Formats: sequence, structure tokens, C-alpha cells
Amino acid sequence: MITFNRRKALALMGGTVAASGLAAPALAANKKIKVGALRFTSHSGSFIALERGYFADAGLDVEFEFFQAAQPMAVAIASGDVDYAVTAISGGLISLADKGAIKVIGGALQEEGGIDGQKYLISDAAYQAGIKTLKDLDGRKYAVTQAGSSFHYMGSKMAEAEGITLQFTPLQKVGAIIGAMKSGQVDGWSIVPHIAKPLAAAGAWHMVANVSDYIPNYQVTTVFTSAKNAAEERGQTEAFLNGFKRGVDDYAAAMIDGTADQDAMVELIHKYVYTDRPLEKAAPSIINGTMRLSTGAALNVASVQDQLSWFQSEGLVDSDITLDTLVDSSYVETTGA
Amino acid sequence: MSESSAKPVSFRGGGFAPRSVRWIGVTVFVALILIAEWGTRSGWISALTLPKPSDVLDTFRELYESGLLFKHLGPSLSRLIVGAAIGASVGISVGVLIGLFSYIRSGLVPLVAAIFPIPKIALLPLFVIWFGIGEGSKYALIAFGTFTPTVVATYGAVDNVDRTLIRMGQSFGLSWWSIVRKIVLPGAMPGILSGLRISLAIAIILLVAAEMLGAQYGIGAYILEAGSLYDLERLFAGVLILSLLGVIVSAVIGLIERRLLRWRI
Amino acid sequence: MDIRLDGIGHAYDDFEVMRDIDLEIPTGQIVCIVGPSGCGKSTLLRFIGGLEQPKKGRVLQVGAPPAGCLNPLTYIFQDFALLPWRTVWGNISLVLEDHGIRGAAAKDIIDDVLARTKLSDFAEALPKQLSGGMKQRVAIARALAVKPAVMLMDEPLSALDSQTRELLMDDLVDLWTRQPFTAVYVTHNLAEAVRLGHKVVVLSRRPGQIREVVTIDKPLAAREFSDPDLDRYQKDLWHLMREEARAADAELIHV
Ligand SMILES: Nc1ncnc2c1ncn2[C@@H]1O[C@H](COP(=O)(O)OP(=O)(O)OP(=O)(O)O)[C@@H](O)[C@H]1O
Ligand SMILES: [Mg+2]
Repeated sequence: MITFNRRKALALMGGTVAASGLAAPALAANKKIKVGALRFTSHSGSFIALERGYFADAGLDVEFEFFQAAQPMAVAIASGDVDYAVTAISGGLISLADKGAIKVIGGALQEEGGIDGQKYLISDAAYQAGIKTLKDLDGRKYAVTQAGSSFHYMGSKMAEAEGITLQFTPLQKVGAIIGAMKSGQVDGWSIVPHIAKPLAAAGAWHMVANVSDYIPNYQVTTVFTSAKNAAEERGQTEAFLNGFKRGVDDYAAAMIDGTADQDAMVELIHKYVYTDRPLEKAAPSIINGTMRLSTGAALNVASVQDQLSWFQSEGLVDSDITLDTLVDSSYVETTGA
Repeated sequence: MSESSAKPVSFRGGGFAPRSVRWIGVTVFVALILIAEWGTRSGWISALTLPKPSDVLDTFRELYESGLLFKHLGPSLSRLIVGAAIGASVGISVGVLIGLFSYIRSGLVPLVAAIFPIPKIALLPLFVIWFGIGEGSKYALIAFGTFTPTVVATYGAVDNVDRTLIRMGQSFGLSWWSIVRKIVLPGAMPGILSGLRISLAIAIILLVAAEMLGAQYGIGAYILEAGSLYDLERLFAGVLILSLLGVIVSAVIGLIERRLLRWRI
Repeated sequence: MDIRLDGIGHAYDDFEVMRDIDLEIPTGQIVCIVGPSGCGKSTLLRFIGGLEQPKKGRVLQVGAPPAGCLNPLTYIFQDFALLPWRTVWGNISLVLEDHGIRGAAAKDIIDDVLARTKLSDFAEALPKQLSGGMKQRVAIARALAVKPAVMLMDEPLSALDSQTRELLMDDLVDLWTRQPFTAVYVTHNLAEAVRLGHKVVVLSRRPGQIREVVTIDKPLAAREFSDPDLDRYQKDLWHLMREEARAADAELIHV
């Protein structure tokens, strides 16, 4: 049953929709898909695309599936319970790609000079004990959620640059790490600015450097899907990316470039993030958390390659995995190659 | 009665007496592993579902050859031994006290019943605050997890000590301490040991939880890392080690039982 | 050392089990107590042994226990009460350890009592390896080891089959003949009572009172299996007890 409404007609005519002929059958069916998300500002691209009807325009009936952590989300994609999601590149993600279960198809969060990015931190206890710089962290406890997480990568890259060794201490959850940093049981960590700043102001820890100083153009999170979707559901995948890109553009316009109404955008994001706080209290965190989501979901393959190589050098993933196993670069513009 | 009307009485006894047949258990294991191996090789079990048993074995061998096995096993065993030793010895002491004194019994039995069902993993963050992120919180978690089942098993075992033996001790003028040491404790030993079987299995289960926070090495940390990397071979290799640990612990208790409880009929 | 019961009476809550018991247990005699089930025999024995206190009356020791006596009032239990995790030797040494008797001193005593109970070959056996009769002999050996002034025996032979019972009665008679001991011997079995008792105390049904004390003068060693004299005593005792037993039996049903 093919019914054309105004939106779909518009979408079909829209120049941004590549290969619209191919996508048409999927669009016409108003296809139901599931998108995995964490309640973080870095997932705003999807939230905006849904709220502003960009997914619907692309012919997709999107339903969000919320997760507490990135790891189960990746497994849900692999098992086919969720179709698309955004998450940091982790050892688990690479392993799943190696098993032929998932593919990275685009870029999302990116460290960019000039925009506040993730911070390296030193706990107040350690700071008072004379550890004032990252170099001083030599031999100390550095918090990570798990071995092979993005925290592990950031810490390791920094340690390599500083020529120091760190004791990576897995604490599973960000909440547990914050507690351990506050009580001085671990000495160093890195985290997004909207978590780093308020607690630095409260004296729990000290921000001593930017992650972007050590890892330029760091592709923090990527868009990924199941290998099956990437290979066989091209129309649907492109439709998803199109909706997502428009969300990202709106986000950048409102939050970074100042060419759109920021308040309206904050209000929209607040529907998904910090929902347990009133808008006035949530707004500063949402604004503080602003980071660059890469335009057009462009993927910095150089950064992805660097991460892959690091995971391999640490023996966390198989050493014969190639970038092509992890990434399907046919969907978005790639940079850094 | 004529010979022709005589017929043998039909047998209707038997059954309802399962025995353990030694090689069946091994056969089941081997068969399952062979099916998994064949399934993963031929492809109808995807790499995402189950690792190849031979790959798991390879991973295990690599772990052993690289020396990492002992680097992981060492801390885990010490956590297990220290934690379980604390939990079991405090548990046995408290259990005996509950078994002997009315006030302690009235005061502690409800408390033990209240803390028994608490998932000890849920208290991990609390333990980290109390005992720090190092070995302390790991010992505490394992000790706490083994404590409650040991207490319950022990006071049950003390309750079941034959009262006439205690009366006998009293009638011969044995001191209180002699009665506890020579009659109550040995009499409760079968119950305490079968309680230990359960407590120590729980200790192994809790090892993984204990190593969630701040452990760089350890079988639990290894399994968690494998899980987060979705590395099924390592995951299964780790699980294999835990299973072996369980079998060894059970065998050791069996050995102790045979030595200590030789007197049982 | 004699034992004197002085106006013993007892009740569990409002449930009177015993009334006005006066009894003398003279040194060197075996006093048997018989009576219908539930009349308070075991309770009375617990009073004598100090394991329980009567509501009324007193249990008195008259005179000092003999020299070397470690545990003046010593029990022998119906179900033997041997520690299953200790060997025969260990079960006997158990009751000496608390008196600080170890090593050679303990060995002397244990060897002696094992010999007297014909158990010398079984010192290292565990209780599970012994027959019922042997277990009770171990219990008797253990009691002898503490050189009791008075042995308190609560149906010591009831758990045994009748042949073993006969054999063990012979053993007890032998033991007594070689070295007379004082004993209070509770039993259901009138044959045992007339075979072993210098005095047989007949209790009435609950609340237990002394109906009669029968003295049997015939020396223990002269009494034999199905001795006609003893049969007569036994018959008399049965006549005394029959009504009580019947009433007690009927009463139990009504409880
Ligand atoms: N601890 C107790 N609490 C309440 N009642 C008791 C207690 N001990 C014994 N009795 C009651 O006292 C009465 C006497 O008990 P006892 O065991 O002394 O009798 P007995 O003559 O030894 O009986 P039996 O021949 O069956 O061994 C019984 O009716 C029994 O139910
Ligand atoms: Mg009785």
C-alpha cells in the first residue's frame, strides 16, 4: 500500500536524499526502526531528528530504545534488537565488527579546537599531595570504566605522550569513578566538560589539560549499525543518516554557530537529557556539554585507525582486524584518510 | 492347587533409586563440546553465539604460556582465600554462638535473616567507601557473601547436635569449653562442611563482582574485560577457570569430609 | 557413699509427676526402680544425678565418695551416648582429659576398664563398627573409668536384643562380684530387676510414689537364668504392677 503524503513527497524531492529511487520502497512503507540512545547531549542528533520530524521525512518511524551504557547497546545492535546507534569506539565494538556483526557507518562526536572538549583531571587529594601535572601521574591510579573503553584509550594516549605509565583502574561506571575521584581513591581521569567543570568548581578535582591537546581530531563517537543493515538495507540506512544529519546541523546551528534559537534547542534536548531536573537547572549542563557533532556525519578515519591500532597494540583486539572490517565508508564523507 | 495354575509373581519393585554412573557425566560434557565444535566449524552456530571450543582451549593455552594465567590467578586466589577464610571463620564462630546462647540467638537470627537475601554486589560501592578501592573491599565483599550462609548452616548444625551427647558430657562433669570443643563442634562438623560447600561456591561467584572495582588482575577482572571486549574466547576461558576452581574447591571439601567425617555411618 | 532421697516431689507446671519419694541407696548395692511408663523413673534418676532439680525435697549424699573417685554420680545411658567421631579409647579418654589425666596415667585406667569389660581388642574401633552390646560395654567402661561412687543407669539394656541383654547382665553381675559398686538401675523389664537388684523399688503410676520396696537376698552371683526363686519375685512384682500399668496405659490414651 503506497500512500504519498506531503512530507514524503518533499523528502523525495529534497536534494539531500541521495539515491532516492533506491530508497523509495522503504520510504513508502513508513518503516519502523529502533534507534539506541543514551541520555547524553552527545546523542542530540537523533533526538532532534525525531522531534523535528526529520526521520519521518526520511520515511522512517523511529522508536528510541534507551540504554544505561554503551556496551549493551552495541550488543543489542549485533543481535538485531536495535537498528542504529551512536557510541564511542571501544574494544567491544571492534570485536563485534570482527565477528561480522556490526559496522561503523558515520561519525558523531568529535574533538575540535576552539570548542570545549573532554578534560584530563587530577583528583583533589592527589593534587594536594603534589601531583600538579599529568606527568606527575606516573605510576598512579588512573580511572577507566573498563579495559578497552574510550577512557582507557584517552589515558593511554596521554601516558604515551608524557612518557609515563599509569595503573588503569577499572571501575565499571562513571558514577563509581566520580565517587572514587572525590574520595581520592584514584588519581586521574578524563571526562566530558559538563561533568568536569561543575565538580572542578566544587573542588573535587582539577582540570589540567584538554584531551584535544593529546589526541587532535579525536573521533569520539561514531554512528553504527548491524553489518546486515549496512550491506542489505542501504535505502533505510541512508534514510536514517539523512535524518540524523539534519538533526546534527540543527544542533550545530543552535548550540555552536548561534544561527538558531538556543533556548528552543535546549528545551528540545531537555525532553531526553536531565529529565529529572527542571529546565532552568538542566540548561547550564546541556549548554556546557556542547561539543561538535561532525557535519554530514563525516567520519575521521585517521582517528578511527589510530584507535583501532591502539586497541591492537594493547592486545585488546585481534591484530589482523583492518579498518574495512570495522568501517563501511560508503555512506558518508571521510576525512583524515 | 494344580501345577498349571502356578505362575511366577510379577516383579514390581525396583526403580526410584538413582545411582551415579561414572562415565555418563564425562560423556555428556564431551558430547556437548563436540556438538559446539562441529556447529561452530560448520557455521550453523555463528561466531556471535558461541566461540569454538578449540579456540577457547587455544586462548587458555596462550594464557598459560604467556604466564598471564598466574598473574590473574594469584590475586584471585588470595582474594578468595582471605575473603572466604574471614567469612567462614567469623560465620562459624557466630553460628556456634547463636547455637549456644539464647540472647545471641534472639538478637542475631533476625539480623542474619535480614542480610542473607541482600545481593552483596549491590553493596559493593558501600564497601569501596568503607574499605577503599584496594584489596580491602574485595576481601570484605567475599567475606560478607560467605558469612551469612555459613552462619545459617552452622547454627542449624549446632541445633542438630545430639542433645544426649551434651547431657553425657555434663554428666561426666566436662567443662563448658570442653563440651563445645569436643562434642558440639565435631557434632556440628557435617552440617558446617556442607554449608561450606555452598558458601565457597558463593565466594567464587562473588569473585567476579569483587573484581569489578579497581582490579587490574584477577580472573573476575579478566572475565569482565573479555565481556566488555565481547571476546567470547577469553570470556569462556575465564569461565572455564572459575568452573575448574569450583570443581577443585568441591573436591577439597570432599577430601576434608572424608578425613574428618570418617566416623559417619 | 550412700544416697538419700528426702521427700522428693515434682511437677512440670501443673502436671504432677512425682510425690513424696523417700529412698535410701546404700553403698555397694544395686537398687532397681521399676514402674509403669511415664511414672517418673527417668526424672528421678536425673534428680539423683544433678541434671535436674526437684520442686520439693532434697537429694543427699551421705558420706564422702571413695578416694580416687573422679565423678561420684555417673550415668549410663539407654542409647549409649558414645561420641561417634572418637574411638573406643578416645571415648573413654574423653572423660579423663578434663581431670588432667593423660598419657601413661590415662593408659593405665583405660587398659584396666577395657579389660574389665572385655574390650581390650577394640580400643581403636569406632562406635559405628561395634554391635549394640559392645557399645553399651564401652559406655560401662567409660563409667568405670571415672571410679564412680554411684552409677545411674537408665534402661541401659533396653536398646539391645534379648540375647545380648542376657550376656550383658552376666557381665554386670561379674563386674559387681569382682568389685561391688553402687547403682541405681531404672528398667521396664522385671527380669532385669530381679536379676540385678538387691532392692527393687516399685513406683505407682503418675504421680509416681513408692508402692513397695522388695528386697532380694539371694546373692547376685547365685542368681541364674530362669531361676525359680527369681521367677517368684518377678511374678509378685508383676502382680503389684499390673493394675498400675493398665491404668497408666489407659491414662496415656486420654492425655
Ligand atoms: N521436661 C519435661 N517437661 C514436661 N514434662 C515432662 C518432662 N520430662 C518428663 N515429663 C513428663 O513427666 C512424666 C515422667 O517422665 P519420665 O521420663 O521420668 O517417665 P519414665 O518413667 O522414665 O517413663 P518411661 O518408662 O517411658 O521412660 C511423663 O509423663 C513425661 O511426659
Ligand atoms: Mg524413662
